[in-house]
Amino acid sequence: MSLRLLPPTLINQIAAGEVVERPASAVKELVENAIDAGAARVDVTLSEGGRALIAVQDDGRGMTPDDLALAVERHATSKLPSEDLFDIGFLGFRGEALPSIGSVARMTLTSRTAEADSAWRIQVEGGVKSAPEPAAGQRGTRVEVRDLFYATPARLKFLKTPRTETQHAADVINRLGMAHPEVAFTLTDGTRSVVKLGATQGDLFRRRLDRLSAVIGRDFFDNALPVDAAREGLRLTGHIGLPTFNRGNAQQQYLFVNGRPVKDRLLTGAVRGAYADFLASDRHAILALYLEVPPRDVDVNVHPAKAEVRFRDQQLVRGLIVSALRHALAEAGHRASTTVSLGALGAARPEGQPQRPALPLGRSGGQSAWSWTPPPRPSQDEVDAAYAAQAPQSGYGGLYEQPTRLPNLSAPPQARSVESHADGRPAPPSFAEAMAAVDLDSPPPAASEHPLGVARAQLHATYIVAQTADGIVIVDQHAAHERLVYERMKQAMDAGGVARQMLLLPEVVELEEAAADRVIARAEELGQLGLVLEGFGPGTILVREVPALLGDCDVKGLIEDLADELADLGEALALKDRLADVCGTMACHGSVRSGRLLNAEEMNALLRQMEATPHSGQCNHGRPTYVELKLKDIERLFGRR
Amino acid sequence: MKLTIERSVLLKSLGHVQSVVERRNTIPILSNVKLDATPDGLKLNATDMDLEIVETAEAQVQDAGATTAPAHTLHDIVRKLPDGSQIELTYNAEDSQLALRSGRSRFSLSCLPVEDFPAMVGGEFSHNFAVSAGDLRALIDRTRFAISTEETRFYLNGIYLHATKSDGVDVLRAVATDGHRLARFEVPLPEGAGGMPGVIVPRKTVGELRKLIDETGMDVSISLSETKVRFGFDEATLTSKLIDGTFPDYERVIPTENDKVMEVDRKLIADAVDRVSAISTEKSRAIKIALEKGVVTLSASSPEAGSAVEEVEASFDAGPLEIGFNSRYLMDILGQIEGEAARFDMADAASPTVIREVSDGAAIYVLMPMRV
Ligand SMILES: Nc1ncnc2c1ncn2[C@@H]1O[C@H](COP(=O)(O)OP(=O)(O)OP(=O)(O)O)[C@@H](O)[C@H]1O
Ligand SMILES: [Mg+2]
Repeated sequence: MSLRLLPPTLINQIAAGEVVERPASAVKELVENAIDAGAARVDVTLSEGGRALIAVQDDGRGMTPDDLALAVERHATSKLPSEDLFDIGFLGFRGEALPSIGSVARMTLTSRTAEADSAWRIQVEGGVKSAPEPAAGQRGTRVEVRDLFYATPARLKFLKTPRTETQHAADVINRLGMAHPEVAFTLTDGTRSVVKLGATQGDLFRRRLDRLSAVIGRDFFDNALPVDAAREGLRLTGHIGLPTFNRGNAQQQYLFVNGRPVKDRLLTGAVRGAYADFLASDRHAILALYLEVPPRDVDVNVHPAKAEVRFRDQQLVRGLIVSALRHALAEAGHRASTTVSLGALGAARPEGQPQRPALPLGRSGGQSAWSWTPPPRPSQDEVDAAYAAQAPQSGYGGLYEQPTRLPNLSAPPQARSVESHADGRPAPPSFAEAMAAVDLDSPPPAASEHPLGVARAQLHATYIVAQTADGIVIVDQHAAHERLVYERMKQAMDAGGVARQMLLLPEVVELEEAAADRVIARAEELGQLGLVLEGFGPGTILVREVPALLGDCDVKGLIEDLADELADLGEALALKDRLADVCGTMACHGSVRSGRLLNAEEMNALLRQMEATPHSGQCNHGRPTYVELKLKDIERLFGRR
Repeated sequence: MKLTIERSVLLKSLGHVQSVVERRNTIPILSNVKLDATPDGLKLNATDMDLEIVETAEAQVQDAGATTAPAHTLHDIVRKLPDGSQIELTYNAEDSQLALRSGRSRFSLSCLPVEDFPAMVGGEFSHNFAVSAGDLRALIDRTRFAISTEETRFYLNGIYLHATKSDGVDVLRAVATDGHRLARFEVPLPEGAGGMPGVIVPRKTVGELRKLIDETGMDVSISLSETKVRFGFDEATLTSKLIDGTFPDYERVIPTENDKVMEVDRKLIADAVDRVSAISTEKSRAIKIALEKGVVTLSASSPEAGSAVEEVEASFDAGPLEIGFNSRYLMDILGQIEGEAARFDMADAASPTVIREVSDGAAIYVLMPMRV
């Protein structure tokens, strides 16, 4: 056996293996360097998905010839002033990125500082650097990386198609773009513009919202709630989508920690917890949260690509996220998403109109992922437009997907009237019958006192139509009342506590020791929800009392689910879910059905209760309980605008 | 196979048989009833692999033979035929069809080969004894309501039947519990049952057994092994697998030292519980019982509906006590008590309460309180 120190090139290649996994990782490192250099604008060009060329041009502070020579050396960095790994104020801190890339590709850096009258260039090829030489170049830095992985062919084999690799790079840029709305970003692949994020203006919230809408889709703008909360030195800001504005996976949940996009399972769990009352478990919220943590309370040096962080106090962070989100949602009250009403408006398109929306619907164009109109088949141009506007968010395969129909609207309109037939009631009452009950002469309401307006009619014994100061509101009476009953039940439960059935035969549940410990650590919280348990030797839990609501329930299964969730998400949702399910079922039985005739007083009472009840804009599954059409939307329908 | 049988006779037997057959089956033959024409009459046989019923019905058999036909369909047909009619059943092996003729109706049913019909292996029974229909009915009725429906604790999904001593007397005892409440009832040990293994009779078997008991006034013969039980009636035999599990050591949870004793008129308190619980809209149906000398106060409240209070006269000498119960559980138990007065033996609001008839200790019920 002969031991030897590895030559620097090999060391760099090994480091590159961790830092540079695919073209998108090189893009990430280079764009981060540009942001660290104070750039106002970053332009990225890829060819062949980055395999042939990655070029990143910035207008940042630039480097002197000496800087250039040092920058490509391992562990050379300008970003750790105090020799303290916990004092990290930049995206970079290791001095590892450039030498790593330089060891597996042909790299050229061209840079010019504000003071210098010409640019300088340095080349690195397979880890060997040239001497700096004068070159032509504008202020800032341009890094060109050619033939990535030519020095490590094994990596090449793992690369996907150029399109997929470009998509990964776009994803990276979008994420960094959301974290830095003050910087303009573009990505082109030689022929097409893939990402185009213009510089934003206004205060931070406004700039972020503009940037988020540019990435997520225009509709986010109308359906986002601001979040701003602080606790024990932590500050959480950002924007979260209304529950009715949801989607089928959790990919559009972004977390930024001290300006750094990170992935953290904690986020998924906390978000589910906060939205639990409003979304079915297979629907997911859309949001972007920005967490500022004192550098000492977070370790960013736990992942080679810095994609994960570790918080000193996980519970604190989770608690902050959950409470901030709940608060923001509660503030939103009965607001339901505008996409819903816009979708309804589109659905009201007169016959004979072309399939693609010819209506000038402004913010609900055909290209957005949130468009309610399923176009027959997008043309290449549309695909490109969609790609440029929002592609990364629909996942890497999302490029070719047809814009998704809004789930909120997918229930066929006939469904409800069928239901009312099933009730055995006179389903479609005569028009006169329905109208007779309503006082048509009452004056239209002032916008401020009754946002949901005054009831004008009940249609199909199912929908309440109300007139507001500047539009109309259509309420699904069953969904709305169900939500009101549900909210009342929950309040009662919160106020009175959960009644607990003590067990004659306490249940013994065996788990892995770590899982059991996790559950026991949350015993107090679970106790408040009616589940009283304690440790009973290693890996064993003794359940003494269960929520009476659940009856003769599968205690073992419940505990196992809780243990899994605590491991995955850090949230004890299974129990809340089950209680909410029971409440939901009871609420459903206890509420006004479709098909029941309501008189004017009853309808107005329902509207007033909805206004007074938080979260009444959506049913327990995130579907809207009402839609609002503004007069101007109606005017558009008739081509008056 | 060819026979003639009276509609009412066939209907009664099919009634027993078809409820053993599950409505949905992944194994087609289990949807069928086996029909076996013998010189003794028509033997009907159905099984779900855990429970088997064999019943003999009086019939005029012309040609002996056997086949299997869809049980629910056959039952439906026979049920709809007019009362008093005669039914002729003929099996044609060539096209595997069972022809049913009655009056001017004709049916032809597709059959499955009788060789495929699963036979339950009888095995050896270690104990044989007889119980009067009345005793067996009481053993079931007094305990059945407490059987757990939660399938993960499968060992609670039945009635635990075993021989034991109660105050020095040998008894046959039935116990059921769902972990929230427990019911125990006993009858004098029948001859031949001494030393029998403790067995857990599954819920479905209990249900079928109960139906058969209603139609007989005679003793029921019981044969037992570690894994199977057989109940013999005049015309029918029910054979069932037993639940393969250990019933919990229930005696440990039956308190014997509860010294706060209340005696109360059963009907008065049952009616009061029923009325008061009307206010609690929740599924949990919590009710509070406050005891003072000579009077028990029932109360319930719900943030939705309001509150209810009712006083019932009772004999109670201990210090004041307040205890919560699930009113549904309480009603279940009070519904089982036959005598006029019920007795509650209590310790405190967090310990099990024993409820029984004042005059008769054959049935006792244990109920765990609720925290309200
Ligand atoms: N676009 C740029 N503009 C100005 N200076 C740059 C630029 N890119 C790199 N540098 C300089 O080169 C140094 C080395 O960059 P490199 O990316 O290798 O390391 P780092 O950013 O310091 O740390 P990390 O490895 O964590 O990214 C930086 O510290 C910075 O001083
Ligand atoms: Mg860097």
